[in-house]
Amino acid sequence: MLLIKPAGFLNLSWEQRRKLTGLLFVTPTVAFVTVFFIIPLLMTIFMSFHDWPLFGERAFTGLENYQELSKDRQYLKSLDFTFRYTALVTPPIFILGFILASLVRRNIRYIGIFRTIFFLPVVIGLGVSSLLWVWMLDDRIGVFNKILLDLNLVPKAQLFLGRPNTAMNVIILSVVWKTVGFTMILLLAGLQAIPDELYESAEVDGAGYFRKLLYITLPLMRRFIALALILSVIGSVLSFDQFYIMTRGGPRNSTISIVFWIFNNSFTYFKMGYGAAMSIVLLGILVALTGLQLYVLRERE
Amino acid sequence: MYIRKTVLALLCLALCLGALPLAAQDDSINMTMWVRAINFQTQELVDAWNANNDSQIELTVIPSAEFVTKMGAAIAAGEPPDIASIDLIYTPAFASAGQLVDITEYVRALPYADSLTPAHMALGMYEGRNYAVPTAVDGSFIVYNIDLFEQAGLDPENPPATWDEMLEAMRAIDALGDDIYGYWFSMNCAGCNAFTFLPFIWASGGDVLSDDYAEATITSDPIVREALAFYNTIWEEGLVPEGASIDNGSSFASAFAGGNIGMSGTGNFALSLYQNDHPDLNFGVFHIPGRDGGAASFGGGDVIAIPAGSEHAEEAWRFIEWTMSEEPQIEIYAANGQIPVRLELVDNPYFEGDERQAAAASALAVGFTPYTTVYNDLFNDPNGPWLEMLQVAILDGDIDGALELGQERFTQIMEG
Repeated sequence: MLLIKPAGFLNLSWEQRRKLTGLLFVTPTVAFVTVFFIIPLLMTIFMSFHDWPLFGERAFTGLENYQELSKDRQYLKSLDFTFRYTALVTPPIFILGFILASLVRRNIRYIGIFRTIFFLPVVIGLGVSSLLWVWMLDDRIGVFNKILLDLNLVPKAQLFLGRPNTAMNVIILSVVWKTVGFTMILLLAGLQAIPDELYESAEVDGAGYFRKLLYITLPLMRRFIALALILSVIGSVLSFDQFYIMTRGGPRNSTISIVFWIFNNSFTYFKMGYGAAMSIVLLGILVALTGLQLYVLRERE
Repeated sequence: MYIRKTVLALLCLALCLGALPLAAQDDSINMTMWVRAINFQTQELVDAWNANNDSQIELTVIPSAEFVTKMGAAIAAGEPPDIASIDLIYTPAFASAGQLVDITEYVRALPYADSLTPAHMALGMYEGRNYAVPTAVDGSFIVYNIDLFEQAGLDPENPPATWDEMLEAMRAIDALGDDIYGYWFSMNCAGCNAFTFLPFIWASGGDVLSDDYAEATITSDPIVREALAFYNTIWEEGLVPEGASIDNGSSFASAFAGGNIGMSGTGNFALSLYQNDHPDLNFGVFHIPGRDGGAASFGGGDVIAIPAGSEHAEEAWRFIEWTMSEEPQIEIYAANGQIPVRLELVDNPYFEGDERQAAAASALAVGFTPYTTVYNDLFNDPNGPWLEMLQVAILDGDIDGALELGQERFTQIMEG
């Protein structure tokens, strides 16, 4: 089909040509999605019905993997942790992202420098930034402890990543630093799409900052907020690197995210089938969550 | 004209020289070998082999906590290394899954097969066949700082023999100064504490697993609770540096080398580090005691095996057999302070008159190694039940909760 000669193509009616061109345009995407999403997804579903060790014999077990999920204490703990983490990390990313976007919105001189600075952490790999934070948070050589000690804010060096209550907080801090620039850029695009005339006429009517924010800015940015929110929530629910590198799931296994637990079961305990079942359940949760967000943030005509 | 000729000649020479090693490499065998990150002379062994043989080995060091994961992934991908130096406790898991080459016939042909360290040979067996032979022998014991013992008024000739005596010694040493501590443990390192904490339980006649490895005995064996309480006391009284609670094993051996730690559980792998890199460190060695006396040791170290799928199994065995021969065992192992894998070679010129080596080697006599295919999931996994149980009991002080949690998760894993 792809090898149609130009002459043959020209003989087709305009309507047929249009259809064929469209097909040619979507083919690469369809092929890509099929190879890298549809087929792996079907394989994962297939695997989830098996006792599938990383090596050795596999056996069909039906729904056993799914039944086991409800008895897996760590799985439930990880789900709980992942959603708690998502709920805690999303608001700061949004509020800070919005403030930064408002600050760098106007095209004044040198503003590019600030946009670049705020965006810079986004281009660092999450693995690299996690390691960076591990060192900055270290109790012996870390810069944070140095500052806190010099200011006499703490009596002795703090083991930030070693205590369950602080580990989550400092990881959230590092992730906000790492990802806020991306949210800023998305929201900035939204802010800049709003015509200045709207604000001007609102000012003429005597609207203050918060009324403008509430009745002009936020409603007109709905699509951008929806996009940024969905990307941010999906990213948080699927988070793995920062926990794997910064805490190894500790202390007391309190920072094992759901993807971390899937990784452990699949590649450390060699239970690929069980890991596949967990992945399918997680996929279902994410689809539901994204659907809910799209519904809440839909355009109301 | 002359210049052009010279250039041409040089070019020819360069091409010929460049082609030579290429041609030579074509008929030789290139093998890959993996070893976990242990303080051991594996690189020296490989270098010595490469210098004297046509076949060449390329060594890759894998972080210890990642070894099983990486090895599993490599096997599943169909690209395992030709030779693997594996933590002995993982051998049952890999052998039972059919992922190691059966070397029973090779082992039977060895004239010294009976003198190879028994713990390693036992772990290298599955259903009566041999899959691995010893390559790094390591028993756990306790090192103590003789200078600090003397300063604290303790008798370095009579190191502690019970838990109470250990606690008293720690308190006396800890009182010497703010920067001086009685003890060191790496409480965020699962494997380190299987190696050095389990023997406290064994030496007191207890265990966390039943004799047939069929069930966990964490809640039913009272010694487990007492051992956890013993370590909890050490932590509560501040006899270890606070950083010990989050050390993932990177300071397991090196913390004691700082000279401000009274005692620390360790193994043979650390002796050469102390002797070679810290010659001023004045230390002695004693066995890990039970609550009221006795002694035990974790028979640890590595075995060497040929993963199924190796394209050079025969040449790989030639290398393995050579590592166990007398010359490398004496000139590379013993000369670097490592215990030879053949018991009859423990009496060698390098070990003569070295009390510490003798004490360390004698730990092998009380050495014990659990045999279970789920060892990694139970003990060594950083997210496994062993480490979580220790942390909850020792650092949080919730011993009851820890025992219950440990028993439940151990049982879950052992039932599959």
